[in-house]
Amino acid sequence: MDSLYLLIPIALVFCVIAIRLLLWAIDSGQYDDLDKEAWRILADEDPPATSEPDRTDESDEEPRR
Amino acid sequence: MCCPGCRAVAALIADSGLDAFYQQRTAFNERPQPIETGNLQQYLVYDDPELAATFTEVGADGTLSARLLLGGVTCAACTWLIEQSLSRVEGVASALVNLQQSRLDIRFDPQILPLSEIFARVETLGYRPRPYQASTQRQQMADEYRLDLRRLGVAGLGMMQVGMFAVALHAGDIQGIDIRYQGLLRWVSLVVASFVVFYSARSFFESAWRHLKLGTLVMDLPVALAIGLAWAASIWATASGTGQVYFDSVVMFTFFLLLARFLERRVRQRHAMTWFDAENTLPPIAAVQREGQWLGVPRIQLRAGDVVLVKAGDTVPVDAEVISGDSAVKEDTFSGEHLPRSVASGDMIYAGTVNVERVLEARVTGDYRDSRLAALQRSVEIAQTEKPRLARLADRIASWFIAGILLVTTATAVTWSQIAPEQALWITLSVLVISCPCALALATPAALTSAASALRAGGVIVRGENALESLSRATHMVFDKTGTLTEGTLEISDLHSLADIPAGELQGIAAALQQYSTHPISRVFSTTTAATGFEQVEYHVGRGLEGMCDGTRYCMGSEALCRPLAPQLPPPPDDRLYWIALVREGQALAWFGLGDRVRPEAAEVIRSAREGGLQLELLTGDSSGHGLLLAGELGIDSIHRGMQPQQKMSRVGELQQQGAVVSMVGDGLNDAPVLSLADASFAVAGATDLARTQADFVVVGGDLRTILDTWRKARQCRRIILQNFAWALAYNLCAIPLAAAGFVPPWAAAIGMSLSSLLVVLNSLRLNRRP
Repeated sequence: MDSLYLLIPIALVFCVIAIRLLLWAIDSGQYDDLDKEAWRILADEDPPATSEPDRTDESDEEPRR
Repeated sequence: MCCPGCRAVAALIADSGLDAFYQQRTAFNERPQPIETGNLQQYLVYDDPELAATFTEVGADGTLSARLLLGGVTCAACTWLIEQSLSRVEGVASALVNLQQSRLDIRFDPQILPLSEIFARVETLGYRPRPYQASTQRQQMADEYRLDLRRLGVAGLGMMQVGMFAVALHAGDIQGIDIRYQGLLRWVSLVVASFVVFYSARSFFESAWRHLKLGTLVMDLPVALAIGLAWAASIWATASGTGQVYFDSVVMFTFFLLLARFLERRVRQRHAMTWFDAENTLPPIAAVQREGQWLGVPRIQLRAGDVVLVKAGDTVPVDAEVISGDSAVKEDTFSGEHLPRSVASGDMIYAGTVNVERVLEARVTGDYRDSRLAALQRSVEIAQTEKPRLARLADRIASWFIAGILLVTTATAVTWSQIAPEQALWITLSVLVISCPCALALATPAALTSAASALRAGGVIVRGENALESLSRATHMVFDKTGTLTEGTLEISDLHSLADIPAGELQGIAAALQQYSTHPISRVFSTTTAATGFEQVEYHVGRGLEGMCDGTRYCMGSEALCRPLAPQLPPPPDDRLYWIALVREGQALAWFGLGDRVRPEAAEVIRSAREGGLQLELLTGDSSGHGLLLAGELGIDSIHRGMQPQQKMSRVGELQQQGAVVSMVGDGLNDAPVLSLADASFAVAGATDLARTQADFVVVGGDLRTILDTWRKARQCRRIILQNFAWALAYNLCAIPLAAAGFVPPWAAAIGMSLSSLLVVLNSLRLNRRP
């Protein structure tokens, strides 16, 4: 049971990493539009092929002015 | 299909193979305005590089990135439709719509595609594009949104960690745990929970403290107390190695409350983002006289004393005094009426009104800030701050609930410290925890959200959910006339024939003459087949038309114009309608009565509203007798005619001071301030953008009955909220005495709390049926 003294701090470190990641994602605008992103994956079934570049563009497209 | 606008949009969508839009949309769209080519031409100004530079950026590869704000985006399918149809256009590199902010980010090649074309295409789809200009308010909202999300995310991750440790601790309670490990788990939970309390739950403490300083008790206070005390007691338990820790409850409670608030605020913000600035409706370029020539000058460079030229059909760019020409200006911006006001040399014309007849030269009297339109926009802002804040039901109940809890807790603490001092702290704490105001805090938001989503499905866009609460208490319902109770378009409602000529022939003659006019009245006749043979038709500004046919002189227009030609012309039948005469030499032919048709369902709506116990009022900018007659016909109790926007505001303000809760129904730009002041307001179909952004509810279809449905839903919502409160209080009344007597173990308190919250949520879901 003494391994707890090692494992719990490790868990905490992971938790801190997860929080940092989440905050980074929020600040870089990835969560700015929750409605559409949830919906977009469903809409992909029948739109034309032209929609492809759209999506790949998105990560670097997110504007920061 | 309800109108040409919808038909055009539906045809476009189907032709592009994008009809999946109709299966996938989750909310009704707003009704588009019929598309006129003139509309599209207005966007040509954005091709001007200087103007475009304010909202575009040039990319490294020569492409242009533009940001547009879109009006009328209601659900995710709209964003899909816009993105799909734009990204197929040649020259568009990418098009992305942000639903939360109703914003389009588009990257395109300006060599292939002019910017105005993008505006025009978006407009053709039925949305209203505008350049996106960053404002501090919008920036602040976006920042708040991110902050909320950060707090929520941290609370969620913290909750998982603490929850994991809590499982170990609870298991340890049952099967036995070494005191060393228990201590470790508690200390670790303490660290994580403290972080969550300080980072995520901070907003509760701040809000509770802020209100406490103002002397009000709000729902945030018991929330802050429960979090704060449970946290403090758990620290004490950890440090002393005794009693019970509640870190898991603290963190979980924080998370769920933040989640509920986040969802509520998100809905509110989405609609707040579609802001509207009246100045944007003005033409950006005006023709100004400089050294004897007419030059196109940006509107913002106009100075008092400049002479501007306003062509027929143009929007007046700035407040000015007419110095030459006579014409008529359509001032529905300020009065809500269609019939224009005649102006001649010396009269004032106002920014935002439309010159309908002939070219005018006018001397500018001041810049935009001094204009009447700016004053209208300012009064909207003033109205927002003056809007009476009805004390929310939850907050009022919270006040005495908190007082009660604090009393009971103190009494428990005092009593137990007499009986068994070593148990006093823990029993006091269990009273606080079991009275955890979860159910109370959820009672209102759950019901409001549920009702709003039901209304959305029924074609009402709910912009402010709190307005549902105000609406349920409404005592007065105030209507605007033109465009709200009436259809908002002129038509021939009556024809008094004065000669032995069939009505069809009379209308033919009228139509033949009216073709030569640009006055709004002439549009009434545009659907009739015109008689032939008219020549030398002459147009008298503000009076009417004159023409020859087979050697006979005809006249149509005001009484003053026609009387000399036919002295026996009787006076107009009444002042119920707007009458124009048709005469020929020596013979009076007819009186045409023009009116605005009342919406077919208006009478029913008024009757049901009255039966529901509402006081009805009509506030109209029209000063003719039509309003009086309409009020009598529909059975409206009181009517005020010829009201300016500011007068409408003061009337509603007056009612509110007498203690009335006013709901207002309107559509025009002139209604915007009063819509914003009223406790609950509706913008009906075809409403101007400014009115839409000020109203709490936007009725998407053209049906006034929806207003009554909304009102009923609001009342039902209030009943549900009261039931929720009754349940939450009853639960507390039963549980607190048991806890105070020391009979409730922590696990039972936790189950009781969850069940009571669940019941509140389920009860609220009953509202989620379509109206």
